[in-house]
Order: sequence, then structure tokens, then C-alpha cells
Amino acid sequence: MYRLAARRTELGLLIPVLLLVPLGVTVTHIARSGLADPGPLAVAVIFVGLMLGAHLVLAWSGHRGDELLLPPVAAMGALGIVMLNRLPQDLAGNPAFNLGMVGTQLVWFGIGLAAMLVVAIGVRDDGFLRHYKYSWGLLAAALLVVTLLFGAEVNGARLWIVIGPFGFQPSEAIKVMLVVFLAGYLAENRAVLAGANLRLGPVALPPIPYLAPMLVVFAAVMLVVVVSRDLGTALLFFGVFLTMLFVATGRRAYVLFGAVLFVVGAGVAYLLFPHVQERIDTWIDPWADPNGSGYQAVQAIYAFARGGLLGEGLGQGLPLVDGRLPIPAVHTDMIFAAIGEELGLLGGVAMLGLVAVIMTRGLRIAVLARDDFSTMLATGLAAGLVLQSLIIMGGNLKVVPLTGITLPFVSYGGSSLLASFVVVGLLLSISHRSIEADQAESAGLPESAHPEMHVG
Amino acid sequence: MTNELLRLLLLALQLGFLALLFVILYRFARALRADLRQAEATAAATRTGMGRLVVLESPGEEPSVGRVLQIGPITTLGRDLNSTIYLDDEFASGTHAALTFRGRAWYVEDRRSTNGTWVNGHRIQRPVALSYGDELVVGRVRFRLER
Repeated sequence: MYRLAARRTELGLLIPVLLLVPLGVTVTHIARSGLADPGPLAVAVIFVGLMLGAHLVLAWSGHRGDELLLPPVAAMGALGIVMLNRLPQDLAGNPAFNLGMVGTQLVWFGIGLAAMLVVAIGVRDDGFLRHYKYSWGLLAAALLVVTLLFGAEVNGARLWIVIGPFGFQPSEAIKVMLVVFLAGYLAENRAVLAGANLRLGPVALPPIPYLAPMLVVFAAVMLVVVVSRDLGTALLFFGVFLTMLFVATGRRAYVLFGAVLFVVGAGVAYLLFPHVQERIDTWIDPWADPNGSGYQAVQAIYAFARGGLLGEGLGQGLPLVDGRLPIPAVHTDMIFAAIGEELGLLGGVAMLGLVAVIMTRGLRIAVLARDDFSTMLATGLAAGLVLQSLIIMGGNLKVVPLTGITLPFVSYGGSSLLASFVVVGLLLSISHRSIEADQAESAGLPESAHPEMHVG
Repeated sequence: MTNELLRLLLLALQLGFLALLFVILYRFARALRADLRQAEATAAATRTGMGRLVVLESPGEEPSVGRVLQIGPITTLGRDLNSTIYLDDEFASGTHAALTFRGRAWYVEDRRSTNGTWVNGHRIQRPVALSYGDELVVGRVRFRLER
């Protein structure tokens, strides 16, 4: 059943990516225990098996979705696995299963890839997203409020919901639901854009159909800033919204207006709330309190500095201080600092390149989509992944305030991996539908209502 | 001595890992370029118009379900044989509705038909702007506007 010609581009791009993990795991192992012991290659074998398996299932089912999307995702995943394999295994992982950190992460990769395949192959009709946009929006709002009220506080930000032994990070799911709602809303109202701007004295505001959701999202985002001090998540939600608004309307002025709104709002929050002030002050000058609030940021900057151009080498950086790694949350939020230390500037730049490839493919899928909802959905989903990557990388580098969000496909964490793979599944499914329709059309006779009045 | 060798080996492997990363990126870039080139060529061939109507439901012979109709900037729908899109359906009026492309969007207007023109389940009262993906019902024929 496996068609040799099916998804050959994807396979060709995947093969070198899959070499990364065995190579990285081997380097790490040699660096730490010399050449005598052949080392546990199980991690590499499982990762390669999972990725190849996902590719084969897609090819086997005759999936026509974008072939250039899974390879960069796999490459980010590969870098993540190499780093997580290298870090001390007791940083995370459920002791009940005794899998260690990288083992647990591989289990989540399996679950995430399975979810991706189910969504990519199973979703033939997006009606359940399109028609229930307000329900998804309400669900997102409800989850947000529940998290803000009852969430557990980790590292000074309220991001987790803990039920018994299980915890999950709802912001990942909220992000996807917000994109579904906005895609539905903007697709429905896109045609209204011809309407004149609202005038408020000398300022031209966007027309009401855009202004209303902008204010609603803005209010939600400000709530996140004030209640959970989570500037990064706020920036992510608002950034995704502005990206989608720009794609829907093609007007730079709206984006500018939104950005000004955000800056003013953040400024007001800074003046009114001391805990927001503390966050921002730490960001601007972590050296004011290098052993307290600025500790994480300072350690990350030292890690990048030690890494230099080529990096300290896999398994050779990240010196222990008092038997512990100096960077808190190095396996989740700060994993980019670990990559910067061991793979250097080149490794970091490669990571940015992978993010750029994912964005390009997301926009490509959006352009090829046949209806506005799919276009907006693909744009928003891709922007969500990419902005999240940029915000947390920027946070590690002290370019934007640091917050507790993950680097998709790289950081340790089940909620993040699962949500990110569902996003990839949705993108593949959108792409599959438009490519299939194109091919069905060009296979048959090109039909035209009236060939003589064909407009080219 | 062996320690020196080991360090050299590790350095070589580290450089190899970084080189592999950039080989991967280079291959991605090449694949992206090839895809864009190909897309340009196929876009010119298949996506010529400003939109098309996909026939989702149609009780009569014409148009048949599943057909994709390329539409021009002024397209009329109705039972009249002179309509741009002829509908073999007794619930459609002679000149039932008209689709026009103005500025950046499609608009549909009802041409005083008996049974009305419906967009996404609502009967339209005046010309309305359409989004790609909207469903249009004329008589008993159901279309979807696509890009």
C-alpha cells in the first residue's frame, strides 16, 4: 500500500534531520563517559522510529498535506531531545513511571504525533470549528478565568491547573481556541472592511467590527498581565490577534493602533501595580538583584556568553554549581539558553532558521486555502507557534520580559507538545483539503461558467 | 595523550553536528524555493479567476453536484437561459441573483426573486458582501464561494 512516490520530499528532508539525534546523543555520551561504553542509543532509536512512523502513516493514508512542515518540526524536536537527554534526568518526569525526563518526553512525542495524525487525517470538515466559533471563544475565556482564579503559582506566574496528580498548562489550549474564535470571527466580517473608519476627533479608529474584538482581546490580555503577571503570554495572545487582523484587513494602521494600545496598557499596568513593576524592572536590569529576582536572567546571559560562536560542545557546557545546574527551569523555559551554551550562536541561529521555515509554511498553507476561515486559521495557528518561539527565545536573551512559556517542540512538557502537535495536525489538514481540491480540479476538465468571458 | 585525542574527536563531532544543522537548513531553503517556483507555475495555470462557485447541492441536472464554476466579475444566476450560470430548478426565478466583484470582495444581490437568495442560512434583504467560504442558496441549488 505504501506508495513509493508519496511524500518523497518530506522523507528526503526528514532523513538528515533524523541523523541529529543519534549524533547528538553520541557526542553527549562520549563527552561524559569516554569511548569505552557504547552508550544508550535507545533514545535516538525511539525518536527516529516515531518520526519515521508518523511520516509513513501520512504517506500510507495518501495524505496530500504540506510536505515541508513536518521536517522543521522534527528538527526542533530533535534539538530538544538532544538537550533533554543531556540534562540531568531528575529535573522532571513522573517518578511513578521511572522513565526519566527524556523518556517521559519521548512518550509525549508519541502521544503528540498520534494526535497530529488523527487531526491531519481525520479532520475532513472544519465545520465543528467554524460553526461553533463563539463556543470556542467562550471556552477559552472560561479556561482563562479558571486558571487566573484557581491556577497554581509556579515561578511567580499563575499558569497551571492541577487536578490530583496531573497538572496541565491551559494557556496552550487557550491559544488554539482563541485562534479558532478569531479565525471564525474575522472570516465572517472580513468583507465589511470596506466600511469607513470611526473618527474620534483627529484619530481614525478601525471600524466597530474590528474595534470590538480588539478591545475584548485587549481586556483579556491586560487581565493576564495584571492578575498573573505573565507579560509573555499577554504579548503572545495580542501578537497572534494583530497578525490575524493584519492578514484579514491588510491594513498596517490597525496593527500600529493595536501595538500602541498594548504599549499604553502595559505602561499603565506598570504604574499601577507593583508586581508588574517588579517584573519589568527585573527585565530591564537583572543585575540590580543578581542573586534574587534577576538570578534566572543573569544565569541565562552567562550561559549564552560561555557558548560563544561554536558552543562549549554537547555535554560539555552547563557547569554545576553546588551540584545543581545554575539556570532554573533549564529544561523548559530556559532551554534556549542551554542550546546557546552548548551549540553556540550557530545553534541558536539554526533554531531561528527552523522557526522561520515553519512560519513560511504556515503562510503558504494560508495562501493556498480556499476559504477565508481556513486562511485565517492557518495564519493564526502558525503565528501562535512562531510568536511563542520568538517570545521565549527573546526572553532568554533579555530582549523581551521573560515569562513561563515553552519553546514549542523543544521544551520539556506534555501540554505544550500535545497542543503544538495538534496545531501541526490542523495545518496539515487545511493544506490537504486545498491541495486535494486543486488536484481534483486540474485532473478534470477546467470548467468555466462561460468560457468566453473567462477573466484572467 | 588519549585525552587530547578525545578532545579533538569531540571538537570534530561538535563541528559535524553544527554542520549537519546547517545542511538541513540549506536543504529546507532549497525545498522552499523549489516549492515557490512550482507554485508560481501552477497558480498561473489553475487559479486564473477571482473566485469560483462549488456546487454542493442541486436537485436538477444543471448544474451538477461537485462542479466548480469559475466566475467573472459580473455573474448572474437564474432559470433564464441567458444567465451566466443557468439553473435547472423550478424554485429559481428567471433572473434570480447577481454576483459582482467590487474592490476586494464579492457582493451578492437578489434580483427580486420569488424565493429569495440565502447566504449562510439567512435570506438577504439588500446586497451583501461575501467572504470566501460562504454558502449561497439560490432556489434549491446550494453553492460555496471559494478562492
